[in-house]
Amino acid sequence: MRRARGRALPGAVAALCRALPPRARPAPDTLRRARFDRPQASSHCWRLLCSLLKQVHGGKWTEPDAIDIQIRFIKSVLWYHGYGRPELYRLPSDGSAGSRELLLAFSWLLHRISLLEQLLARNRVRTGDETSVCTCEDDLTNSQKGRTEIAPEYSLEDKVDVRYLQWLHGRLRFQWRSLHALHQEQSKLLHKIHLFTSGSHMDKILGHFSVTETELIRQPENYKQLLQFLESETMQLEAFLEWKQLEQVYWHWMETVLDDMAEEGSMCKSQDAHTMKSMLPKGDSCCHWAGSLVGKIDRLSRDLMTVHDQLQELVTHRKSAWYEKVKTREEELQKEEFCAAARKTQEAVELKLLDLTYHCAPKKPKMHGSCRLVFRSKHSASKTGFGRSVSKEPISTVSATEVIRELQMRKASLERELKQLQEECRQRMDEIAEGLDGVICISP
Amino acid sequence: MSIVTVQLGQCGNQIGHEVFNAICSDVHGTHGLCSKKENESYHEASKERFFSEEKSGVPVARAVLVDMEPKVISQTLSIAARSGCWKYDDRSHFCQKQGSGNNWANGYSVHGPKHKDRIMNLVRKEAEKCDRLSGFFTIMSMAGGTGSGLGAFVTQCLKDAFPASFILNHVIWPYGTGEVIVQNYNSVLTLSHLYRSSDALLVHENDVIHKICAQLMNIKQISFRDVNQVIAHQLGSVFQPIYTGAGPLHYSRSPLGDLMETLVPHPEFKMLGLRNIPQMPENSLAYSTFSWPGLIKHLRQMLIANATMEEGIDWQVRPPRPGSSIPSKHSTSKSLHFNTSIANLVLLRGKDMHSADLEPIFTSTLNLGLKRRTSWTASQLWNKLSPVTPPCDFYKCSQLELYCKTTTLEDLLASTSQNI
Repeated sequence: MRRARGRALPGAVAALCRALPPRARPAPDTLRRARFDRPQASSHCWRLLCSLLKQVHGGKWTEPDAIDIQIRFIKSVLWYHGYGRPELYRLPSDGSAGSRELLLAFSWLLHRISLLEQLLARNRVRTGDETSVCTCEDDLTNSQKGRTEIAPEYSLEDKVDVRYLQWLHGRLRFQWRSLHALHQEQSKLLHKIHLFTSGSHMDKILGHFSVTETELIRQPENYKQLLQFLESETMQLEAFLEWKQLEQVYWHWMETVLDDMAEEGSMCKSQDAHTMKSMLPKGDSCCHWAGSLVGKIDRLSRDLMTVHDQLQELVTHRKSAWYEKVKTREEELQKEEFCAAARKTQEAVELKLLDLTYHCAPKKPKMHGSCRLVFRSKHSASKTGFGRSVSKEPISTVSATEVIRELQMRKASLERELKQLQEECRQRMDEIAEGLDGVICISP
Repeated sequence: MSIVTVQLGQCGNQIGHEVFNAICSDVHGTHGLCSKKENESYHEASKERFFSEEKSGVPVARAVLVDMEPKVISQTLSIAARSGCWKYDDRSHFCQKQGSGNNWANGYSVHGPKHKDRIMNLVRKEAEKCDRLSGFFTIMSMAGGTGSGLGAFVTQCLKDAFPASFILNHVIWPYGTGEVIVQNYNSVLTLSHLYRSSDALLVHENDVIHKICAQLMNIKQISFRDVNQVIAHQLGSVFQPIYTGAGPLHYSRSPLGDLMETLVPHPEFKMLGLRNIPQMPENSLAYSTFSWPGLIKHLRQMLIANATMEEGIDWQVRPPRPGSSIPSKHSTSKSLHFNTSIANLVLLRGKDMHSADLEPIFTSTLNLGLKRRTSWTASQLWNKLSPVTPPCDFYKCSQLELYCKTTTLEDLLASTSQNI
């Protein structure tokens, strides 16, 4: 069994390395040598990890920084993702040691943030037709509730001229407007491309060219480069599939590495006991974390029950008070006016009910991520029908009109929120202005 | 990347005509100063910005002409059509029979609401023709009735209808000894309304341009046409395609946006001024040579001494040393002549503009934002000079500088009301 595993391991490691993007592709040997913690391998490993993480975090390829900057970057990224192994954070900043720790960190990232999948997604050959759609509800409102209540201490030392802030705000606004205009132009031109090339594509479902294909027609000599990209991408994807099949072997190997480190670690564990505690604020043992989570869940469910009961009480209370009111009102408006008033109140109630149901409705799965725009004319027989539809690989399509509608609803609710906040702000300013002598507050 | 021009009133229409003329002749000029490919892309960019293609092949200006009298508009249309290089769209104009009688309220409250729909329809049609709308450029004078009153109203409507577009208002400051008796009232009202809806106000003063014509261009009998041509030349040098510092060989994708972002992001300071050197009659261009250091030295002193043209600069005025305090009430007259602009933008056009060293301007313009009344010390970040280097073109060797004045609306109203 061990022999078979031993043969499969190089294959797994090789597949893993081939699936990484070309700029940050290590030799399979590097990974295996890293296990033995040789100093020469360390700096190489640091650099490799740095370039991988930079790609994942959206950075473009820049000249590599000095090694200590790279190491700081890697440590901060690992901290951000929740890597809790103190030995890594204690590694020196000159890159002379720690290839085994890096190997562990790399494997952890592979699993935890799906590093490989992210890299593959990022390095795809673009069709140029992509657009990003995000209909997620922002959680900003909840997180900022606490902040607006407490005004910060005004200290005279750090003076910032408010006019400078206004300047910066103005710049931001103008840049946003330019961006808006650029987006509009892009959609217009994309529409033109799709319209003019419809009917020419081999794939009958798509029916039109994408930007990349159109570009290729205009400048055919670029086909070599495109071909290279496609070939490299295909190779990476094939390597990824291979890797998926041989994954288990790799994880077994990682376990052996961990066992080795645990043995070594236990010898010097006593020395590091208190330093460990000081380095990490939260406990790094899995069980402790899981236990606290369970406790939290219990507490939350209890709170939920109590809130639910309170709500029920409140509702019955309000209902009874309301019926009383209605009865008295009915007696008052016995004449003709009652019908008109009743109709008006009914309409208002319906509107409010719609609003509430929208807010309380189980959230539809929000769309997030980039999609490819596909043009569908009015007369085509597709079920999405009018307008352009947005399709994601595999074939899950969403019509653009639906997305537009959702975004419009979101916009309306944000506008309402803005009005409400402005009203609150105005009231607060009036209160403050009343307190000050000889100051009149004229709100916009 | 397209700019839609709205020409308002008699003055606006005449200047607008000259602007399109200047741009067209620049585009068609052959000066052999740069490679053919650069030339072509420059022409493409310039054409896309100001003209739209039509079936007849003659470029059609992206403009809407508005006036309350038919005379000027029909003249403008016919002159443009006769030139053969370009023309206006026959349907993009709006005129009435009666005129405004130099009455601001007539333009703003009577003509404006009455004809709002038709004018906005024309504007919308022009805007839809553009692949991308960079913004609106309105030309008007402040003295008359149509340009000022109707212009203010139209600007407001533009802002409401196109909230995401930039609006640059070009206003002509009337002669100090102008003929219209109510020009001060008209100016004050126009400015106060424009300040609310416009993004930036580019001011050209008739007196200054007149002086330029007299002293620099050596014109004996200065007519409005000469003044308009000088103004058009200066405007053209602002709006023709330019490379931004960021991308080499790529024209600015958003001309108005870049301008405004650098100069007028603050909501209270929207007034822009323009300085252009060298300014000289076209026939003497062939006989003059320029060097970048010389031009830059002149421009620097013009900036410091608040001069408007390159003759008669007061070379005695010096910028205050960094760290010095604001001139107090008993300051000498010298420091009062000191320039007080907040932000400055330098555009260079011509050969070898890469060799132009803007350091002398840059280092001396720190601490220029001194304001008399408040204790606001300017920080270095307020003054941004970004060299924007365009390719070679008709403006063979010229430099111009846009600056944002520190005069707020209150100062302006105060100074104009003194004349009333």
